[in-house]
Amino acid sequence: MSQDVLAQTAALRKSRLSLKQIESLMGYLLVAPLVTCILILVVYPFIFAIWISFTNRTVGGGGDFIGLENYVYWFNQARFLETVRNTIVLVGGVQTTKLLLGLGIAVLLNQEIRFRNFWRGLILLPWAMPAFVAFITWKLLYAPQGGAFNFVLINLGLVNTHVDFLSTRELAMPSVIVALVWRGFPFWVISFLAALQNVPKELYEAAALDGANAWQRFLHVSLPGIRHVVLVVVLVSTIWTTNSFEAIYLLTQGGPSNATMTFPMLSYFSLQSLRIGEGAAVGVSMLPVFTALAFVIAMLLQRDD
Amino acid sequence: MFYRITLKQKIVYYTLLVLLALVILFPIYYMIIISLKLPRDIYRTPSLLPINATLQNYVDLFSNEGFLINIRNSLVVASLSTFVSVFFSCLASYSLVRLKYRFRNWIGRLILFTYLTPSALLFIPLSVIIAQLQLGNKLEGLIFVYLTFAAPLSTWLLMGYFKGIPVDLEEQAMVDGATRLQAFYKILLPLAVPGLIAVSVFTFTSAWNELLYGLIFITSPSLQTVPVAISYLITGDVFRFGLIMAGSVAAAIPVMVLYYLAQRFVVQGLSAGAVKG
Repeated sequence: MSQDVLAQTAALRKSRLSLKQIESLMGYLLVAPLVTCILILVVYPFIFAIWISFTNRTVGGGGDFIGLENYVYWFNQARFLETVRNTIVLVGGVQTTKLLLGLGIAVLLNQEIRFRNFWRGLILLPWAMPAFVAFITWKLLYAPQGGAFNFVLINLGLVNTHVDFLSTRELAMPSVIVALVWRGFPFWVISFLAALQNVPKELYEAAALDGANAWQRFLHVSLPGIRHVVLVVVLVSTIWTTNSFEAIYLLTQGGPSNATMTFPMLSYFSLQSLRIGEGAAVGVSMLPVFTALAFVIAMLLQRDD
Repeated sequence: MFYRITLKQKIVYYTLLVLLALVILFPIYYMIIISLKLPRDIYRTPSLLPINATLQNYVDLFSNEGFLINIRNSLVVASLSTFVSVFFSCLASYSLVRLKYRFRNWIGRLILFTYLTPSALLFIPLSVIIAQLQLGNKLEGLIFVYLTFAAPLSTWLLMGYFKGIPVDLEEQAMVDGATRLQAFYKILLPLAVPGLIAVSVFTFTSAWNELLYGLIFITSPSLQTVPVAISYLITGDVFRFGLIMAGSVAAAIPVMVLYYLAQRFVVQGLSAGAVKG
C-alpha cells in the first residue's frame, strides 16, 4: 500500500519534471522558426558586413582580405569627413528640435484642452504618411518652380528671385532638417503625451500647494515622471534618424557637393559604383555608435519589465 | 485642480494649436492641390488655391498599365512578407512571453537588437547574399529581404501585446484540463485578434513604404514597387509634379487609413519606440 503511494508520487514527480521539460522544448520549438530567420537574415549579414569591410570585394568579384585599407581610404577622404560632420549636424539638429517641440506640444496637449483626441489624431498625420510620400511632398514645397515656399516668399516681396533651397550649400542642410522634423515629431509628441498622462495628478497638486509655478512643476514633476520614456524615444529615434535614407535620397541625393551627404547615402553610392568593400566599411564605421545606443536601449527596456 | 487656466492662457494655447495645425496640414494640402493641377497651371499660374482642378493626373496614373503593375508588386511583396513574419512572430511571441526556459531573455534581447539594426548597414551584405542565391531582381528576393525588418518588428509589437493580456484565463483553462497548445490557440489567440490585426497593419505598411531595398534589389521596371516607381519619377530631370503627387496621394491614402484604424490597438508598442520616427 505505502509502496503504491511512493511509486505514485515518484511517477508524479517524474511527470512534473517532464512537464517542465516539455515547456522548455515547446518554447524552443515555437521560437525556432523566427530565430532561424533572424540568424540567416540579420545576424549573418551583420557579421558578413564586417568581413566584407576588410576585403576589396566588388560586385561580381571575389575580393581578398586587405586589412584596414578600406578604412584608411575613407579616413583620408574629405568626402568621408564631411559625411561624419553632416551626420552629426543633421542628427543633432533634428533630435534637438524634435525634443523641444515634442516636450512643448505634449505639455500643451496635457492641459485642459477641448477635443484632445482630435488634436492627437491631427498631429499623427505626418507620421502616418509613408516616409517617401512625406519627403517627395517636401521636395515639391522647396521646388524653385511650382514650389509653395517660393510662391509665398516672392508674393510677400521677401525675395526677388527664386530660392533654390535644396541646391544652395547653406540652405540644403537646414531644409532637410526641417523636413525630417516635420515627419518625425508626431511620434515624440504621442509618446511623451502618453507618459505625461501617467504622472499622478496629486503630484502636481502637491507642488502647486507648495507654491511651485508652471515652469517649476514641469521641471520637478513632469520631467522626472517621463524621463525614462524621453530617454528611450531619443535613443531609438537617433538610430533611425542616423540611418534614414529616404529623406536624403529624395531631397538632395547628398548634394550640393556633399553638403548633405550622410552615411547611408555614401554607402549607397559605393554600392552603385560597385565597390562593395568600401561601402561596407562606411556602414561598419557607424557600428560603435549603433552598438552603444542599442545596449543602452536594451538596458532601459529591460528595467521596464 | 489648484490651478485653473485663465482666459489669457486659453487664448495662447488655442493659438498655438491652430498654428501647429497649419504647419501639419499645409504640406498635405499642397500635395493634394498639386495632384489636381496640370503642368501649365503649376508653372505658369502658380497659386496656393486649386485653380482649374482636374482629375486628369489620376486618370493618367491609373490608365497607365505600369502603375497598376507597381501596385500589384507592392501588394504581393508587402502581404507575403507580412504573412510570413506575423506567423513566425506569433509563435515566437507566445514562447517568449508565456513559456519559461533557458536563454529566453537572450533571445528577447537578440530580437530587440535585430529590430534596431539599420537597413543602411545590412543592404551591402544582403546584396551579395541575394546575388549568390540568384534572387536579384525578383519579387521573391524582395520578400526575403523585407523579412529582415518585418520579422523583428512584428515580434517586438506582438510581444508587447501578449504581455498586456492577463495570463489568468489560460491558467484557468489548463487547470480545467486544456494543454498548453490549446490554451494558446483557443484562449490567447482569439483574445489577441485586435493586436494581430494591428501588428499586421504595421508590418504591412512598413513593407509597403520601403524604398531602399526596393531600389537596390529590383532593376526591371515591371517588378518595381510603388515607392521605387514614384522615386524614379522624381530623380529624373523633368518632374511631372502633378502626376508624382497623384501617385503619392494614391499610395498614401490606403496605408494612412489602415494606420489610423490600427494605431489605437498598439499604444503600448508605440511608446517603446516601435515604429520609425
